[in-house]
Amino acid sequence: MTAKIPQKLEDLPSSEPRWVGKDVKRIEDPKLVTGLADFIENLQMPGMLHCAILRSPHPHALIKSVDASEALKHPGVSAVLTGEDVLKWTNPAMTVPDGWGVYCLATDKARFVGEPVAAVAAISRSVAEDALELIEVEYEPLPAVADAKKALEEGAPLIFEDKGSNVIHKRLFTWGEVDQAFADADHVISDSFRWNRLGANPTETFGVVSQWDLLENSVTCRGAFQSSSHFALGRAATFGLPSNRVRIISHPHGGSFGGKGGARGTDIAALLSRKADGRPVKWIEDRMEYLIAGGGQSWDRFYEASLAVNADGTMTGFKVKLLDDIGATGEGFGAISAAKPLAVFTGNYTIGAAQYDMTLVATNRLPQSPYRGMGPPPHYFVLESLVDSAARQLGMDVSEIRRKNYIQPDQFPYIIPSGNEYDSGNYEACLDKVLDMADYQALREEQAKAQEAGRLVGISVVNAIEPGVFDWNAYSAVGMPGVGVPEGVTISVDVMGSITVRVGFSLEGQGQYTLAAQLLADYFGVEMDQIRVVHADTASAPPHFGPGGSRLGVALTGAILGAAKKLEDKFLAVAAGLMQTEAANMEMVDGWLRIKGVPDAEMPMAAVAGTMLARSDLLPPGMEPCPEATSVWTAPGRAEPDEEGRCKSYLTAANACHVIMVEVDRDTGMVEILKYFVVDDCGTRLNPGNVEGMLHGAIAQGIGAALLEEYVYDENAQPLVSTFMDYLMPTINDVPDTQSAAMVTPSPFSPLGAKGCGENAIHLTPAGIICAINDALAPLGVAAKEIPASPNRLWELIQSADYPQDK
Amino acid sequence: MKPAPFDYVVPETAEEAVSCLQKYEDDGIEATVLAGGQSFVPLLNMRMARPDVVVDLRKLKTLKYIREEDGVIAIGAMTTKREVEESELIQQRQPLFHASTLEIGHLQIRSRGTVGGSMAQADPAAEYPAVALALGMEMKILGTDGERIVPADEFFITYLTTEIDSTELLTEVRVPVLAEGTGWSFQELARRHGDFAIVGGAVTLRLDGGVCTDPHIVLFGVGATPVRMTAAESAISGQAPSAELFAQAGEQGAAELESPMADVHASAEYRRHLAKVIIKRCLLEATERAGGSVS
Amino acid sequence: MSTKKRISLSVNGKLLEGEAEPRTSLADFLRDDLALIGTHIGCEHGVCGACTIMMDGQAVRSCLTLAVQAEGTELMTVEGLLDENHQLHPIQEAFIEEHGLQCGFCTPGFLMSTFELLEKNPSPSDDDIKEALGGNLCRCTGYQSIIKSVRLAAQKLQSANTAS
Repeated sequence: MTAKIPQKLEDLPSSEPRWVGKDVKRIEDPKLVTGLADFIENLQMPGMLHCAILRSPHPHALIKSVDASEALKHPGVSAVLTGEDVLKWTNPAMTVPDGWGVYCLATDKARFVGEPVAAVAAISRSVAEDALELIEVEYEPLPAVADAKKALEEGAPLIFEDKGSNVIHKRLFTWGEVDQAFADADHVISDSFRWNRLGANPTETFGVVSQWDLLENSVTCRGAFQSSSHFALGRAATFGLPSNRVRIISHPHGGSFGGKGGARGTDIAALLSRKADGRPVKWIEDRMEYLIAGGGQSWDRFYEASLAVNADGTMTGFKVKLLDDIGATGEGFGAISAAKPLAVFTGNYTIGAAQYDMTLVATNRLPQSPYRGMGPPPHYFVLESLVDSAARQLGMDVSEIRRKNYIQPDQFPYIIPSGNEYDSGNYEACLDKVLDMADYQALREEQAKAQEAGRLVGISVVNAIEPGVFDWNAYSAVGMPGVGVPEGVTISVDVMGSITVRVGFSLEGQGQYTLAAQLLADYFGVEMDQIRVVHADTASAPPHFGPGGSRLGVALTGAILGAAKKLEDKFLAVAAGLMQTEAANMEMVDGWLRIKGVPDAEMPMAAVAGTMLARSDLLPPGMEPCPEATSVWTAPGRAEPDEEGRCKSYLTAANACHVIMVEVDRDTGMVEILKYFVVDDCGTRLNPGNVEGMLHGAIAQGIGAALLEEYVYDENAQPLVSTFMDYLMPTINDVPDTQSAAMVTPSPFSPLGAKGCGENAIHLTPAGIICAINDALAPLGVAAKEIPASPNRLWELIQSADYPQDK
Repeated sequence: MKPAPFDYVVPETAEEAVSCLQKYEDDGIEATVLAGGQSFVPLLNMRMARPDVVVDLRKLKTLKYIREEDGVIAIGAMTTKREVEESELIQQRQPLFHASTLEIGHLQIRSRGTVGGSMAQADPAAEYPAVALALGMEMKILGTDGERIVPADEFFITYLTTEIDSTELLTEVRVPVLAEGTGWSFQELARRHGDFAIVGGAVTLRLDGGVCTDPHIVLFGVGATPVRMTAAESAISGQAPSAELFAQAGEQGAAELESPMADVHASAEYRRHLAKVIIKRCLLEATERAGGSVS
Repeated sequence: MSTKKRISLSVNGKLLEGEAEPRTSLADFLRDDLALIGTHIGCEHGVCGACTIMMDGQAVRSCLTLAVQAEGTELMTVEGLLDENHQLHPIQEAFIEEHGLQCGFCTPGFLMSTFELLEKNPSPSDDDIKEALGGNLCRCTGYQSIIKSVRLAAQKLQSANTAS
């Protein structure tokens, strides 16, 4: 049975919440600003060896032989791992969809540049890298599949021969009478779009220390793991071990954004440990490894899409055809990013019918991994671009066409054609608020003046829904099984009344430990610094998933409040016994257990906990001496999808609207962001400063996506980006001063009304910048349809315009 | 991403450094000179540079100076870019050189990167080689046989290759002060502030009797070395400055480029186009600084 | 080839000695040999700025400096910001108060770049801040809170100076 937990701030057992909903300092920060947080690279263990990985220089090549004999003789080398070992000891990686996995080292052939082929464990990383140079690999290069379109060509080389095709997954979803909607529409707006690969690139790469216990035949891996219980299952499957023989100990991460990766490195280090008599083996991915072969490449998409629109601007149908290059294998779970748009397929709009035709293919590029937003950012780029095109064709203002199509406040909860349910929102109020903040009319006048002076200045008004709190059912469209994503915590109160909460995830940057402390401090009426939040590894944590899918703030709140409620009930029972009354007459407020309506009949929570542990003689009959409670939360009301993939998947629907003004330099194609305004409604903000920080961080990532970041491959699938000289992330000089404001429409479904809040800006910023660029380019009659809108691409567009060049 | 092993020596004087280099050359040992290391250490880390021995110049404090001698600013090769940036002498007497320094990487790179290191590295996208060519700098090179002076236009041979022999050391860079009345411009078009330029330009010119004289137009980022745009220079010599003239000069300059580089940031054609843009923009700014106005 | 060299230097006011191969970077030397783990390594090619430390009074990249080049220098790392009572430096306090960090991995580098900036320029403009921190990458914050943090740090340091 789940505990009944507070749904609103007012429901907390606190006369006046002091921490929740306030901009509090993060408890994580002192260790981070002093450099004392235990990032994995800091870890030293007795006898520890260092791993370096030999990688394929070929995008596609048979491996004829691997000779590691010289490397093994090199002074300081303890073990060398090759394909023979992994064939003997492991299984291919689990994937979604199933069956597109390979071993952690290439055995028969290499399928992408950077694929691990052999590895060394030595006394230092330097020596391990020296030894790699002594390994002889004989390759027989094969023709490569360079991109998604080529993967579908007749006679294209096959990445997995036994599959007979490079198509990983193909499915057509039709929701409602979509053909009828298009047949009846006054206008059909169609276009093609291209989203090039980019990705997470946290400032810390992945790192791990793996150790094989040869007596027990078990593995312990310490590292920067985002979802440790999930990761443990993957390792158990790979190693063929019982799942309780894999222990994952997560360390703080220097960022993740979904793209930390690390499965192969973890497995390779573990197997090297097995070969090196069980000594711990550390592998720290270096930046070039991350860029070429790490967990940081996402969304490599070709789109063809159409919007059905009536003359008055009403949008009635939306069709999307997606071709996504998942890369050489399914190991990075990149396919689920193609499924996530189902949760928000028609955006903020009352579009009644839709169609999604998805084709996911394998090529000789790096396997895709998740990245913040997990798929909707390209989808919104397509949808919002088409909405702008429709407005342009109809002569409507871009804000007005959106207003006309919004789901209205009285329509919530609202089920979109693709099946997900939006919990609440007020999109028109959000739009009005941001237009007001931007002084939209004045902006348009400023734009008109600039255009008269020959400048290419454009404005966009875009909006999106951030689906919050994922459920596995959201990804059933690509074969992911299961319903429910448990997140558990255990709260313990010791004999002195000190509170410790154990969670199954480690620090990643979102301030969740602070959130746990805020909630418990208010729940039990103590100072935040009296709460200790600790990471429990997979051997001791309650069921958990950790951060991902914009869920942890909400899920953690549910788990903390559930466990606190259980604890409160125990304390009430014990205190009632001590005060010789019934629990029903008792209440807990600000950490004091008291008899309702009787002044001074109260005792502090610490005394009750102390009594439980040290005075068993005073406990009610049957009460265990256990001031501890575990609660595991998952979103209520989730179910398996129907035959068209429809289900309630994400619990909350946050909304935001951005207004952006840009200028395109006609001579160079370079873009400057002149102004940026945001109004964001993610329900109750549990730590507003923290939420604001996530928003601005996601805007910066969105700017990178729109203008700068791209993993470029050549026509033979060779990656051309291997350093930060070529993978360009925004610096402090590339992010404009953004004005932002909050709206609060609490979720009726989530604990305390909070919604998933970390991703909306990355959903919107790329679309918003491209729409603003296209508004700027509109006088030239050209439009950008490819991301990133690099200066080179925009210059080519401007060149292609039928317009006097040297104005 | 750790360097291959190498040996390491730290000579006390420039002469000792040169005799070390000579000895290694004689013994068939590959030696590389290390100054600030801001371009070289990444190459070591990536194992793209694999010297047998690194000769570190850090003790050559005598090569750290900035002084004016007879209309020339002499800069010791081990002078850091931060020292150039903070030098009032350079700011006042050679503002183009100063301005270009501020565009090099980021502050933390300029703390250690040296003037001599940049010249000797000869990265075609780097600022200093282009400025050296535009200003007609001279390089003082020390060998076992003594010193020689090489003008910038003979110094840069090709990509990462200069006139400095493997047994020699660049000891001083000699920068003419900017003559009174000279207009100048230094501009870059880069993806982000602090990145290597896709295309950059360094320009000086004078206005005599209302016409452009003695123009120096140098582009970088476009080829294996910085390039002097002689056709563009002739196009404006003796002509009254105008936007149209400078646009023409840009066209001529762009046409003059043999085969501009192509990389993930810019195609050859886009680079050629940007060359045109930067020539025009630099000429406009230099004219303004020379006290002229553009019709 | 490549025998270890003795290195003596001053770090955070203490004279220290160690040994390193010539190929060892100063960042690795600080972390692995001197146990100063606050200096982080993000790219090893001088772009991300996570490894920024102070060397002889200037912010530098410790990944682009060999340990042997640091012989005889005076360094300061993030560990040197704490005072003798392990109290946070005003710059650290300001970053906490203004949410100038999320994951915290790049933070030591930002703090070092900020330290040099405020040493030389006690009341920087936003442009000065952007110039000084342009070589430090942060993937989490979007930088706005970092700019606010530096502004607040400048105020804190100024009022501390006025008070003393």
